[in-house]
Amino acid sequence: MGVAEVTRRLEVGAARVLVPTTIRRGDVIDVRALVEHPMATGLFRDPDGHSIPAHFINDVSVTYGDREVAHFVWTSGISRDPFVEFPLRADREASLAFTWKDNTGGVYTQQVAIRFAAQ
Amino acid sequence: MPATPRRRFLRSSGLALLALATRDVWLGAQRLLGLVRPRLPDDPPWKVQQVLKQLFGDRPVQEGQGHVQLDVPTVAADGRVVPVMIESDVPMTADRYVKGIHILVDNNPDIHLAEFRLTPEIGQAFVSTRIKMRMTSPVRAIIETSDGALWGAAADVRVTVNGCG
Repeated sequence: MGVAEVTRRLEVGAARVLVPTTIRRGDVIDVRALVEHPMATGLFRDPDGHSIPAHFINDVSVTYGDREVAHFVWTSGISRDPFVEFPLRADREASLAFTWKDNTGGVYTQQVAIRFAAQ
Repeated sequence: MPATPRRRFLRSSGLALLALATRDVWLGAQRLLGLVRPRLPDDPPWKVQQVLKQLFGDRPVQEGQGHVQLDVPTVAADGRVVPVMIESDVPMTADRYVKGIHILVDNNPDIHLAEFRLTPEIGQAFVSTRIKMRMTSPVRAIIETSDGALWGAAADVRVTVNGCG
């Protein structure tokens, strides 16, 4: 196996949103979200000495059903493949949708359905 | 005037010295073991004050009231990935809740690193993420409640590998 195959390629925009498998109505659940992104600061150079342009996510929106429940304003100071975890009060069955926007116009989305376990 | 008996003077000063020495050794050992973070200077540096002024105007940031809990490593081996957890005991009710959580890093090129705007539907004021740090620096967490109050907490993080370029 060559080195190129071993090194995992960065697939910009591939995103995962994780919620618990069993949710009961009214639970405060943990939501974890990760999107693959270089989060380049614009301060680094590549091995040939060319500066790597800034490329980072600066706006994240989280909507639960039809309402925005959280909104994050980021800079390039967030680590590569930005990860965020926060609680959410699951009081209705709806989709939880993430929208990440970066400074070059890229928009990445991912959603997960909040469903209650059978009582 | 009766002179202090020599014996009593020696005994008391000896005890005082011993107490001082024990305290210093104890503090030194704690610091060596990394149990106690070095105390931060009370006032943030000028550049940070400028950022705070831009963000919050003249509203004071209240510290040390226990409303903000900031969890960061004492030593971060890699400045590219420093885990940060911020929690507040302010309840997320419809009439009073945590509106925003800010992360500031004094010695980063971009001091105001991130802002997390929350709504009462979140249920609990908590955010966890991973940040980059250029060098050893205080990390500040500031929460803003819906009624405009500001609460802050800060901790020093030692960084060995520059994560900002």
